[in-house]
Amino acid sequence: MLPLEKPQQVHRALAWQGEIPTYNIYTFGIAGERFFRELKEHGRFLGTRCPACHLLYVPPRIYCERCFASLEEWVEVPGRGTVFTFTLAYYDLDGRRLEHPDILALVRLEGAHGGVLHRLGEVEPGQVAIGMPVEAVLKPPQERRGSILDILYFRPTRR
Amino acid sequence: MMRRVAIVGIGFTPFRPLSPEVSYRELVYESAQRAYHDAGINPREDVDSFITVAEDYEEGTAIFDEYTPDQLGAALRPVHTITADGLYAISAGYMLIQTGQCEVVVVEGHSKASNVLTPSYISALALDPIYNRPLRFHPACLAGMEMARFLVETGTVREQCLRVAVKNRRNALLNPLAPYGADLTLEEALASPPAFAPLSEVEMSRSADGAIVVVLASEEATRRLKGHPVWIRGVGWCSDSPTLETREWGEAVYAHLSARMAYRLAGIRNPAREVHLAEIDDTYAYKELMHMEALGLCRRGEAGRLVEEGATERDGLLPVNVSGGSLGMGHLGEATGLARLAEAVMHLRGDAERRQVKGAQTALVQSWRGVPSSSGAVVVLGV
Repeated sequence: MLPLEKPQQVHRALAWQGEIPTYNIYTFGIAGERFFRELKEHGRFLGTRCPACHLLYVPPRIYCERCFASLEEWVEVPGRGTVFTFTLAYYDLDGRRLEHPDILALVRLEGAHGGVLHRLGEVEPGQVAIGMPVEAVLKPPQERRGSILDILYFRPTRR
Repeated sequence: MMRRVAIVGIGFTPFRPLSPEVSYRELVYESAQRAYHDAGINPREDVDSFITVAEDYEEGTAIFDEYTPDQLGAALRPVHTITADGLYAISAGYMLIQTGQCEVVVVEGHSKASNVLTPSYISALALDPIYNRPLRFHPACLAGMEMARFLVETGTVREQCLRVAVKNRRNALLNPLAPYGADLTLEEALASPPAFAPLSEVEMSRSADGAIVVVLASEEATRRLKGHPVWIRGVGWCSDSPTLETREWGEAVYAHLSARMAYRLAGIRNPAREVHLAEIDDTYAYKELMHMEALGLCRRGEAGRLVEEGATERDGLLPVNVSGGSLGMGHLGEATGLARLAEAVMHLRGDAERRQVKGAQTALVQSWRGVPSSSGAVVVLGV
């Protein structure tokens, strides 16, 4: 039978507050290692091509998600492309409201069917549009560590 | 020959923003009691298998499936947990009965979202740890980005998305289970501040606590049970790529393929005409429109206009989320699909009181697993 009585006063509703401290490493793997080494050492973007599906994967991987073939053809992709989609984020990860929104975008790199998800910089929120040409701004070589944060942000392409 | 499978019992708690006086186990226990009473079964004797849905991180407990049996009356019985939305468990239960190994299966899902003190961190842990997570952005950014792409690809406008929020919050006014009912006007919605622009505050569902338990039975078993059977006519599920950089953004391919699977089983050729009510995912307002199109309830780019014309209102040609959806009832994590399902069952039984869609005989239920996922499930119900 369900209880006939339930707590009637909110201060009687007790709880234990716990925490979940977990730490991991996440292996780059064969494809990720090559992508981040190239970015760190030469400031270049690499993708892998699936000749059957005519797709150029960025981030690269060693298999095609469509036809499941092994991908062996590595191709350099320029560090520029267009804004595929974007948002003006008025909250940070902690859920704090931001006065000036953070601009997050998926950038389709030229010739790739993928791209890079990153922040936009050197641009006002109101100026951003889908299709806008942008280019990657990288950290100076000595500061690059082989991570997505080696890219500082993307900015409107300078002609 | 396929065995027919029915829903013969549902039980749920009212959905609430907070539930400080009860543990998740007690929420489940209450819903289970109601469902077993509804179906007229004893869980210790009449149930062949139990299926629950839960995510370890949302529960704050590893190997959470170990914590699911007791409150369901499932201790020392066959139990398994699926880390997916509740409609996946309905699909699994449907198949267990179709194998002939089970006659009665119980499905459970719950949400104790108010206990999660850092929800954005939990969903951020679902982002790719190498390519995306180091950027430390709020995961709802992905909803804003997806909405922007949906608008540009389909010609849908922001105001049409806001109308979904208005409709669902107002629908919730008639739903005594829904905590977020509001007499919202389009003008008020238009003034809602941006959150992840183009997505605004009023277009984002808020979380709720609650539990839902569903009893499934074979056709043979329904004959000895007192319940009013609602038949599961079709199920489907599908996952798109998790890679944000390469997957589709402007349309819900996972929902399209899930529906195709479920419609094939159900023999549905023209869902827009054959479905009498749809309870579908509206975690964000634009998602309802995107899902309507993917589910074949209208053509691509048409959903916004249907909402404008009132076609998806309770008394419209195709009522969508009469319950209030997640915008009105609150988002229930992996139990969300079961809340949609429970509403559809009430309508098909003729038990939905003032919300009742008259003459409803076929209902479509669909779930999406939230950002950053691109997966979900579909169930078609009929009487």
